[in-house]
Amino acid sequence: MAHAGSAEPLIRLRGLVKRWGPRLALAGIDLEISQPAVVGVVGPDGAGKSTLLRALAGLLDVEAAEARVLGFDLRRDVTALKARVGYVPQVWSLHPALSVEENMRFTARLHRLDEATCRQRTTDLLERTQLAAFRHRPAGALSGGMKQKLAVACALLPAPALLLLDEPTAGIDVLARAELWNLFTAARASALVVTSTSYLEEAAACDILVCLDRGQVLACTSPTALRNALPFECYRAWTEATGAVVAAARTLPYVGSLRPRAAHVRIDVPVERSPGPDAVLRDLHGLPGVHFAERIAPDMEAALLGLARGEGR
Amino acid sequence: MSAPIIRTRGLTKRFGTFLAVDAVDLAVPPRTIFAFLGGNGSGKSTTIRMLIGILAPTAGEIEVDGIDVVRRPRQVRDHIGYMGQRVSLYQGLTLRENVEFYAGLFGLQGRRLEQRWGELRERFALEQAEGERPENLPAGIRQRAGLALGMLHHPRVLFLDEPTAGVDVRSRHLFWHVIREEAAGGTTVFVTTHFLEEVEHCDRVACIEGGKLIAEGAPDELRARFTPGYRITVRGAPPAVVAGELVSAGCTITQASDPVCATIPSLRPATLAVLARLREVFAQAEITVEQPEMAEVFRRMLAAAREAS
Repeated sequence: MAHAGSAEPLIRLRGLVKRWGPRLALAGIDLEISQPAVVGVVGPDGAGKSTLLRALAGLLDVEAAEARVLGFDLRRDVTALKARVGYVPQVWSLHPALSVEENMRFTARLHRLDEATCRQRTTDLLERTQLAAFRHRPAGALSGGMKQKLAVACALLPAPALLLLDEPTAGIDVLARAELWNLFTAARASALVVTSTSYLEEAAACDILVCLDRGQVLACTSPTALRNALPFECYRAWTEATGAVVAAARTLPYVGSLRPRAAHVRIDVPVERSPGPDAVLRDLHGLPGVHFAERIAPDMEAALLGLARGEGR
Repeated sequence: MSAPIIRTRGLTKRFGTFLAVDAVDLAVPPRTIFAFLGGNGSGKSTTIRMLIGILAPTAGEIEVDGIDVVRRPRQVRDHIGYMGQRVSLYQGLTLRENVEFYAGLFGLQGRRLEQRWGELRERFALEQAEGERPENLPAGIRQRAGLALGMLHHPRVLFLDEPTAGVDVRSRHLFWHVIREEAAGGTTVFVTTHFLEEVEHCDRVACIEGGKLIAEGAPDELRARFTPGYRITVRGAPPAVVAGELVSAGCTITQASDPVCATIPSLRPATLAVLARLREVFAQAEITVEQPEMAEVFRRMLAAAREAS
């Protein structure tokens, strides 16, 4: 049995399958992650993101050619794996009537942490999550952001080698999200962090992105590499008349998707149809209502929409 | 500017000793997409619940589409559509049955219903989902169905409370396409979101923190107030000429040698015209505009407000 730090990858999945009755939730996942990192799992609703996280946590019976996590085989006894995993499910599942501190103590006991370790880690985590002032408040009475911080603190308490987070920041405001991300990036020093997200800026902040669709891995690469591999060029036309510009841009034969905003329109042009940036910019400048057009670096939305359309794989 | 379609004066809500909403004055121009931002527990949802007439304010005035919502909370319901964080579709009923139920509430039936639903079904790409029960639909489709239902009665104002929470990028793209169409058709949209890039779709933004309105304006006004502004870079053109042109357009030069870098609080057509002219004269020049991200604007806005309190 290998552990984190040894030569074996932290995660190695080959042909991982999870069936729910006749439905294939995971339809042959191949994935290998060797280093501690923040890994983002992205993909459309129903792509298999939650199922993959639960499988990695050792919570599901799976079929696979190979399914090793932290050196443990997911198809065998995973009791020892669970001791090394911190998992935050999508549905908040702490004890609402217990205080912040009692929830942590409860988690510590489940992991049989000794009193001194429990006290020291609890103090440290309450400090880092800025929950120390709320230690006696019932968890059910915390705000959304604080509840999630507590959930992450509990998951970090046993100092896991693998931290699995299922949409930990959904519905959470931008400041609380930044605080949560500070915890994730700090955890990366000693753990592999795998988180699903629908926020574009969070996807862009991951070290590695695993893009899922219909239970399969479409891409597993860095956000930058994903954007650079896009088979289209992105442009931005600044205008006050976005509706008219969208209509006019549609008449250009090479234009792919159009993404209007209040003050500009983003225009994606498939590389194989592009007449070249100079010609595109000239055409865009010629559209009525366009003040200025520029070529821009492909953004995360373009990358993920492109993947969803089957481009850039 | 036309008279506001949503207007509050001194809108206040207390729950016991807790002041959830504190003397909020809002004015939403008609036919705009208006983003209402706030952190968790800021008073956002409480404000919306008062605006739609399901929660009585402790003090203050609310007018929506000419109706005094405080006095006539029921009357406003024919004028507005609402979609909350939890889409209110009845489980156990198919989407089609939900449609008939909601349409019935507004006296919409027969040919008029078929025509309206047919149009919404197509625009929201709900053809495949009609026979399904909401609990069996993916979140993205459920959200779209919820919005379609909220629009059956042609509301003049749409209130959307985190309509895209937990929805994937493709569904959000489609969702905003419909919202923009709706606004272009004359509907006013009042929307909350935690996806700050979605604010780029909005004409105006208000921000609430600790029950108080801390900022209100067009996205560019807030960018100008809370960030160094837009960053313009021009590479491969004579620096002196470029810098002169940028200064004349109101920019502040931060680097005068190639590439010339400059900042400007907000992007006006006159500034853009200068950039377009530079592009025309110096065909080889590479000109880029960096827009301050709304997440950054909002983060600074909240941090400033929390510091001040």
